[in-house]
Amino acid sequence: MNKVYDIVGRKKYFYCFSAAIIALALILSFVLGMNVDIEFKGGTIITYSYEGAIDEDRVADIASELAGQSCRTSLGESLADGMKTVSITFPSSTGLSSEVQSSITDSLSQQLPDSKLALYSSQDVDPTTGRGFLGKCLVAVAFSAVVMIVYIGFRFKRIGGWVAGCCSVIALIHDMCFVYACFVICRFDINANFMAVLLTVLGYSINATIIIYDRIRENRRLYGSEKPLDELVNMSITQCVGRSVNTTVTTVTAMVCVCIVALVAGVESILSFAFPLVIGLLAGVYSSNCIAPTLWTVLQGAIDKKGGSKKK
Amino acid sequence: MRRINKNVFFIVVVLIAVFALLTFMGVSTTYADIETKIIKSVDDIRWGIDISGGVDVTFSPPEGVEASSEQMDAAKAALEMRLVNLGITDYELYVDKADYDIIVRFPWQAGEEEFDPEAAVEELGEMAELTFREGYEMDDLGQPSGVTAENVIVTGDHVVSATVSYMIDELTNEIQYGVSLELDSEGAQSFAEATSRLAESSGVISTWMDYDCISYATVSEAISDGKAFISGDFTYDSAKELADKISAGALPYKLVTSNFRVISATMGVGARNAMLIAGLIAFIVVCLYMIAMYRLPGVIASIALVGQVVGSIACITGFFGNIPSFTLTIPGIAGIVLSIGMGVDANVLTSERIKEELRSGKTINSALELGYKRAWTSIFDGNLTIVFVAIILMGAFGPPDSLLAKAMSWLYFAFPATIEGMIYSFGYTLLVGVILNFVFGVLASRLMLASISKFKAMRNPKLYGGVSVE
Repeated sequence: MNKVYDIVGRKKYFYCFSAAIIALALILSFVLGMNVDIEFKGGTIITYSYEGAIDEDRVADIASELAGQSCRTSLGESLADGMKTVSITFPSSTGLSSEVQSSITDSLSQQLPDSKLALYSSQDVDPTTGRGFLGKCLVAVAFSAVVMIVYIGFRFKRIGGWVAGCCSVIALIHDMCFVYACFVICRFDINANFMAVLLTVLGYSINATIIIYDRIRENRRLYGSEKPLDELVNMSITQCVGRSVNTTVTTVTAMVCVCIVALVAGVESILSFAFPLVIGLLAGVYSSNCIAPTLWTVLQGAIDKKGGSKKK
Repeated sequence: MRRINKNVFFIVVVLIAVFALLTFMGVSTTYADIETKIIKSVDDIRWGIDISGGVDVTFSPPEGVEASSEQMDAAKAALEMRLVNLGITDYELYVDKADYDIIVRFPWQAGEEEFDPEAAVEELGEMAELTFREGYEMDDLGQPSGVTAENVIVTGDHVVSATVSYMIDELTNEIQYGVSLELDSEGAQSFAEATSRLAESSGVISTWMDYDCISYATVSEAISDGKAFISGDFTYDSAKELADKISAGALPYKLVTSNFRVISATMGVGARNAMLIAGLIAFIVVCLYMIAMYRLPGVIASIALVGQVVGSIACITGFFGNIPSFTLTIPGIAGIVLSIGMGVDANVLTSERIKEELRSGKTINSALELGYKRAWTSIFDGNLTIVFVAIILMGAFGPPDSLLAKAMSWLYFAFPATIEGMIYSFGYTLLVGVILNFVFGVLASRLMLASISKFKAMRNPKLYGGVSVE
């Protein structure tokens, strides 16, 4: 009943596992490359719905001639409303003005009247706005991390808040790497969803880490600083296991429901949000139990030792 | 907590039920065919263009042009006017003066199957044609006719500036607002000619933008220096509006689109319905799980969760008729679903603590009390950090004139305003979810649990996850 899990003792396995996943993500992103969505790098995608069969090359020819640049076409089907779609992607970063877009639409429907082409969606992003968006996201993430360190440093003074804060941010970076790995492995586009997932996981993981820190803080108060750090941390994590498991189950269940429904309905934009989020949530609970507190024992232990030898 | 009465449980439950009913059904009074919303229902939710379909476009001056602040105002006025002319009234328009961007977003026009968004956007960005015409004759469609159609006195390119100014009426000492108009030499010449002719007969000069008459004035004297003052029954705002419109006609460039996104109407509705189903399933599963794991506190958590979800919806509709509703996007719905999962965290934390205290041999009363007390610091610290994240998100991706965006402009100064409405909506639901969590997950749950534990039938520790009293 009162078994205490030895988390700290197994820290090497955890570090190896995490390092392996992160390394895998890095290697894969070099080998496969990553798909940065036009939201970030700029470009244009126009999607039309059509009926019957369509000559993809013909569409590409007409479009690239009018736009004066090369383009790529792909066929798809939206399961949300059963429409067959053809997407034209212009990777160039100059962007297409609405006039050009409208002339493409006009001549496509003139030259391919049987397909009954209708504009389904279109997106045109200027590369500077795209970069601005990316930069803003990164600043938002970095700023959040700073706020976290300051807040934890202030609220958890008793257990060496600054060190704890830094450990929690390392755990956060770890979670984000996992989310990134998920995007690379699943071949999802890096887009606004990616940023939304990162920021959600940021909040969730910090929350989980703080629950553990809170317990460590409380146990520190109950048992004083006599108790060795390793034991203190193991005990605290064990006491929180019920909460960690149950909150993870409820949160992940909610997002898995979204995933399944998105998969069935074929709403890819939601799937590429919900699935990485599930991975991120799992990574968050893993890192806040196995990475942040164990890292804290290592760092805080080193600081305590240094302080202790100085006193002598 | 001992003072809490048995009835409190029922009061809280009834309050949550009433709240839910009001949020879903709304309250409105009908007086002489005019319906006034007192409390909005779910039908009043404004769906983002990723759900309702629509157009999201950023206009900016052509490359290399540094527009002045007045010119941006003028461009804004021109866009607004054209949106209304196209029959688009429910648009959102934001001006980012630092980066010379104007962001316009409007939903697919209901009932308009032939609506061509590309043509509409093209038309929006066109240069406005401003004309000052003789007389005030128009046909049934409001277009200039007769002498007004034929006699164009000055066109917009001769306008040097149009600004708000005021005169002090010598008789009444009251401030009279109006528009000061300055024309270039060529414009001044034709204006002088026309005014000297029209002043004799108290003729009228009307101002037109494209084919809309935006104002008309009686000529009181000949104006030879090209500096006119248009007076009338203006307030500061209406004078500014006219000045902006005239300046819009004098804009020396055409607006170009730098970002342009169109989403068809059918695409989003399918996605929305999928999300709503997902939310419902998630809700049921989470409730069942909580009840299975924590028994009585699980039941309480489920009731609190109803309040939490209803609260999120109320914050989106605006609840009261006079609060504008918040645009809900697909990630916004995802945020609500996420808060269903995370919303029970407070209940999980306390229930775990109660269980622990019971196992260490405490009585139910002190276990409940200690459970809430001990879990509080972790709930508080944990939730507060999420509040920070939500606020940072909203500051980064909200409209540039919103409070949070202004408060955080120093942080994002280097970046243009990106109104990534999807992330903004997500941040909002996340924020609302966390705040409601304090209300329902902590306060309401605590009241309900403390009150229900007063019932004799509810005094078995087993119900709280403890060991049964043999």
